[in-house]
Amino acid sequence: MHKIIAAAIKELLLLKRDRAGLLVLFVMPAILVMVITLVQENVMELTGQKKNRMVFLDMDGGKLGGLLHHQLMEGYFQVTAWDTERKNSEDIRAAVTGGEYQVGVVIPEESSARFEKRLADLFKKNKQQGRDFVSEQVPVHVFFDPALLPGLRSAVKAQLRIALETVAMEAKIGILGNEINRLLDTLGVTQGVMTSSTADLGERFRLPLLTLAESSDSSESMEMPPYNPVQQNVPAWALFGVFFTAIPIAGTILQERRSGIWSRLTSMPVSHIVLFSGKVLAYTGVCFCQFLLVGVIGSLFFPYLGLPAFTVGHGLSTLLLVVLCSSLAACGYGILLGTVCSSYEQASALGSITVVLAAAVGGVMVPVYAMPILMQKLSVISPLNWGLTAFHDLLVRGYSIAAVRVELGCLILFFLFTLLAAWKFART
Amino acid sequence: MKNGSPAPGDSEHAVFASSLVKRYKKTARPALHGFNLHVQRGEFFGLLGANGAGKTTAISIFSTLFPPDSGSVLIMGVDPVQQPNKVRLLSGLVPQDIALYENLTVVENLQFFGRLSGLHGKQLESRVEWCLDFAGLSGRAVQLVSTCSGGMKRRLNLAAGLLHAPQILFLDEPTVGIDAQSRALIHDQLIQLNKKGTTIIYTTHYMEEAQELCSRIGIIDEGRIVIQGNPAELLRQSGKGTLEEFFLQLTGRELRDV
Repeated sequence: MHKIIAAAIKELLLLKRDRAGLLVLFVMPAILVMVITLVQENVMELTGQKKNRMVFLDMDGGKLGGLLHHQLMEGYFQVTAWDTERKNSEDIRAAVTGGEYQVGVVIPEESSARFEKRLADLFKKNKQQGRDFVSEQVPVHVFFDPALLPGLRSAVKAQLRIALETVAMEAKIGILGNEINRLLDTLGVTQGVMTSSTADLGERFRLPLLTLAESSDSSESMEMPPYNPVQQNVPAWALFGVFFTAIPIAGTILQERRSGIWSRLTSMPVSHIVLFSGKVLAYTGVCFCQFLLVGVIGSLFFPYLGLPAFTVGHGLSTLLLVVLCSSLAACGYGILLGTVCSSYEQASALGSITVVLAAAVGGVMVPVYAMPILMQKLSVISPLNWGLTAFHDLLVRGYSIAAVRVELGCLILFFLFTLLAAWKFART
Repeated sequence: MKNGSPAPGDSEHAVFASSLVKRYKKTARPALHGFNLHVQRGEFFGLLGANGAGKTTAISIFSTLFPPDSGSVLIMGVDPVQQPNKVRLLSGLVPQDIALYENLTVVENLQFFGRLSGLHGKQLESRVEWCLDFAGLSGRAVQLVSTCSGGMKRRLNLAAGLLHAPQILFLDEPTVGIDAQSRALIHDQLIQLNKKGTTIIYTTHYMEEAQELCSRIGIIDEGRIVIQGNPAELLRQSGKGTLEEFFLQLTGRELRDV
């Protein structure tokens, strides 16, 4: 153990003085996690995975606008109401077309009056030129950001229709209640025949009779944080950084091989297992520091960027186990690279390309479910996919350690396989 | 060992190598072919040879870097193939290349190699101090190796091989590319070490160096020792004026590493 610690200290001292290595291991994942999360946060907005920004202009100033505004606020919109004294519908059109808002809603002047009139027309005989007459529908103008995806546009329209229908339904129920009361009075029926007053009929009709009971596989006892770009990206990019430790590990091995250091080490009373254990110990510590750094950025710094904070939940110890297994896999890959490659340049290029490819295939950049079927099948061979799946199972799905045992097993097997391959290669 | 076993009494030898053969993959000729060498304990032995003659291969086998294909070898009476760790405790290797971490300081390098040799605590401290003094680097302990001169690196390279006070020291061309002062310091220190009982096996291209330092030399050519003995005695027998003339007479003027 004394010699393993000596080897680990040496690795850490070398890394401490390797500025490029420190940049790759710590600054790169820190920057990537911030940039990519901010970008994806915007993508989620565009794909409707978060509240859509809506601007609302009530030119009417009557009852209708108030009711609709209230309905929209309760829906899946982040509503900004504009002051009619300063803005008009052209301003809304410009703001929405320019992408400042995704949806714009304008209640034209006199809308409340026209709405009341149409409502009244529906419930009384109103003949014009010998035919039943009902005044025209009241238009509510809506503008869409041209960049809004068609699917999202349909969803927004559906939400707007629900809001409009709700307002209309409440008004109709009010009228209906009044009509019933009037008829009862006319017929001389005593009040109280109705099981409830007509005044609260609107409220009662709004209560849903049916509901969607959404079930998930999350652990029943745990309150899991919602899935968002932060919960996806923090473990993903930390894992990406972890696998980049393969490059400095390969670099130190190549430096030792190409200078006389390896000859000196081999001529000393110390086994290769001890020397490699020192490297693995040191870089496993580095990997934990990487996770800590990216996790702290996600938890403490993201809220300042307007992003949700990263939350670990209750499975911290299991999470650390995943970090450990991922770190071992990365160290094993570094040892293999350092053994197979003949120069640092070769190891650096090969290491970077393979880690980026494994990250892309493994779902670090784009979630696996969003990939074509072929890529989804390929993703199961990526060690980054094993690590990321384990993180998501713990962080998003709330699974226990038993659920991630296959992924952890794969990472450990990968570590052992790379060591065995390196040993075989070194012997031949 | 595949071919025979060392004779009784070989433990009296610091190095006893018999019929060593070593062939590298994808090479036409073996690096060692019937290599025999007997070095007494306490000797300062010079191994002379052209590039590619087999000096480094022999040193590598003696210092347990790899085993021979056939033949037998004992280092201080211990078989390096059967008991490599025992040989590693008894011997020290100073490789031809600078075997140091450029981004560690002088003292960090010594501490690391000392710990791997099994030293710790006060013993490690005292050996590191001794090595710094030996290499004339006491005032440069906290300097990064990358900022040291070629001579300083060579001296440190030598000192790092002495941390565990080996009984036998294998030096593979330890004075290549350094100035006269550093070379003189290394020579003086090696002579002192040898006087204190350390057996030294020294490979070099420099004939004068071998003549000055070594009590005996062996000339290696095409993987075998062609002659060995006291340098002055060999010169007298050959009738040549210098060791270099004698060397060329024995090995010819053809390039060996083509």
